[in-house]
Amino acid sequence: DEIGLIPCPEARYNRSPIVLVENKLGVESWCVKFLLPYVHNKLLLYRQRKQWLNKDELTDITCTLLLLNPDFTTAWNVRKELILSGTLNPVKDLHLGKLALTKFPKSPETWIHRRWVLQQLIQENSLPSLATKGNLGAAPVERIHRLVQEEMKVCSDAAGRYPSNYNAWSHRIWVLQHLAKLTVKVLLDELSSTKYWVSMHVSDHSGFHYRQFLLSSLIRRTVTDNNILVQNQMVNEQNPSLQKEEENAGTEAACAEEQSVDLPRCLDEEMELCSELIDNYPGHETLWCHSDENLSNSHHNPATSHMTQAMDVDGLNESSRQGYTQESKRLKRAPMQDSLGSEMEYRFVDKVLSTCRDVDQARFATAYRKWLVTFLGQ
Amino acid sequence: MHVGGEGDVRSAYCAASVASLTNILTPTLFAGTAEWIARCQNWEGGIGGVPGMEAHGGYTFCGMAALGILKQEHLLNLRSLLHWVTGRQMRFEGGFQGRCNKLVDGCYSFWQAGLLPLLHRALHARGDPALSMAHWMFDQLALQEYILLCCQCPAGGLLDKPGKSRDFYHTCYCLSGLAIAQHFGSGDLHNEVVLGIPENCLQATHPVYNIAPEKVARAVMHFLQYPVPSLDPA
Repeated sequence: DEIGLIPCPEARYNRSPIVLVENKLGVESWCVKFLLPYVHNKLLLYRQRKQWLNKDELTDITCTLLLLNPDFTTAWNVRKELILSGTLNPVKDLHLGKLALTKFPKSPETWIHRRWVLQQLIQENSLPSLATKGNLGAAPVERIHRLVQEEMKVCSDAAGRYPSNYNAWSHRIWVLQHLAKLTVKVLLDELSSTKYWVSMHVSDHSGFHYRQFLLSSLIRRTVTDNNILVQNQMVNEQNPSLQKEEENAGTEAACAEEQSVDLPRCLDEEMELCSELIDNYPGHETLWCHSDENLSNSHHNPATSHMTQAMDVDGLNESSRQGYTQESKRLKRAPMQDSLGSEMEYRFVDKVLSTCRDVDQARFATAYRKWLVTFLGQ
Repeated sequence: MHVGGEGDVRSAYCAASVASLTNILTPTLFAGTAEWIARCQNWEGGIGGVPGMEAHGGYTFCGMAALGILKQEHLLNLRSLLHWVTGRQMRFEGGFQGRCNKLVDGCYSFWQAGLLPLLHRALHARGDPALSMAHWMFDQLALQEYILLCCQCPAGGLLDKPGKSRDFYHTCYCLSGLAIAQHFGSGDLHNEVVLGIPENCLQATHPVYNIAPEKVARAVMHFLQYPVPSLDPA
């Protein structure tokens, strides 16, 4: 379940350089300068059609190569060909990638290949005749769910092995977008399962960005579901046929279930988490950054203001979203409901300023206070 | 980036860069590209690799430069972008970090600092009266100090930060960043800001393509002589 290089400049004994202890694979460093050129050369000769290799040999050679250097795109591409020809089980590449990531947690090519493999698996999944291939005949939904959980674990491990691991967190977001379809349940589960991790990695901007992604996806989800709810109500009023009512009741029920997301509470909890971490770990810019955005979300969250049909939700469409500035967001929303939240923020910031001894903390707190004043206009 | 490879903001920049220099840029080729890049801008103000990702210096440069080529910078929130990138210059080191709360790195001397000429141009096109006519909106001298004092390898070449080894990538982007920091504007508005002896001054680099401005002009002139190739089979 883990690979590593054992610093060992000379072969002292006449024995294999491969060491396997408690399911962890080690390679003594002296052999690398012989092994790597050898397998590398063999693969290149195959690619140049100068020397044939059969499927098993290819599998072994690429496996060895990638465990020594996972950024060797050609090796991953050979495996893509093997997968497409049906001689290599894609799930094996997920395992190989996972192993490579224990030593090379950033490796861009590993993550890219992983996404290709997952895309293959999703496509397979949608073809019922192949649903049993490579897995234990589980139902497609269950299979996807297990894949997602496994990806979350791989990302989490890789994120722990390298600070602010952009590639690991990006992959995590991709998996939620393309495999898990950003359902409310998944978003909430991820919020709770990453809470402990970010508390242990307070400078990891990528980790906190992930939480921002989860929260903004939740906000967007709530708005779309509310829209559907509103539209259904309108349709019901116009069209009281029995069949339509049943359909709409179904959708409404689903929306109602999803509506059980207490968005204001999620955002409040996030603010609390942030404040707690800022107090406990002074001087981390990431936390203050995260705080800014949380407050912005809380105040501009449509779920906290009264939902009316007249409310402008266009801004949350993907395409125009980026055109939003803080000012235009404020003007388009219903008036602020909750000045209690902002009072608390002022008290929090003033408390930090009066009690902190860390220079950076003081600087961040001062900047935050200035921002509060401009932003809240109070 | 290549057939069967990953797709992100970098490929948009590579494509726009090549197409504009070789005069094969057509509206159909980049239909929807500018809007997609704009979606890569996030709450931080910077731009990520694909929509939803964390803001990152390298991707932000690629996004902004591509939009500059496509003349669609207005699709971005330029103000939040400016706020984000200026926040990336390190107050102690003088160099730039790639993302919030990360360490300084010499290569961001170009990816991040290089954004300021691009922003300057975009904001100028809007008729912003507050723009300086002599300096970029970052501390040009502080960046030069970081590059010259901390990023040089005694054996030649440049690097990420003291303690790292030299490589061509860091040599290229430290020098590119140095050139950006030393030269404001062009033509009548050209203003040189050189730290240390005059010999430290590098040739200016083009903020979009990062090659000499004369080379950009020559390439464009050369390819303008040829018609834009059509996609119809011959």
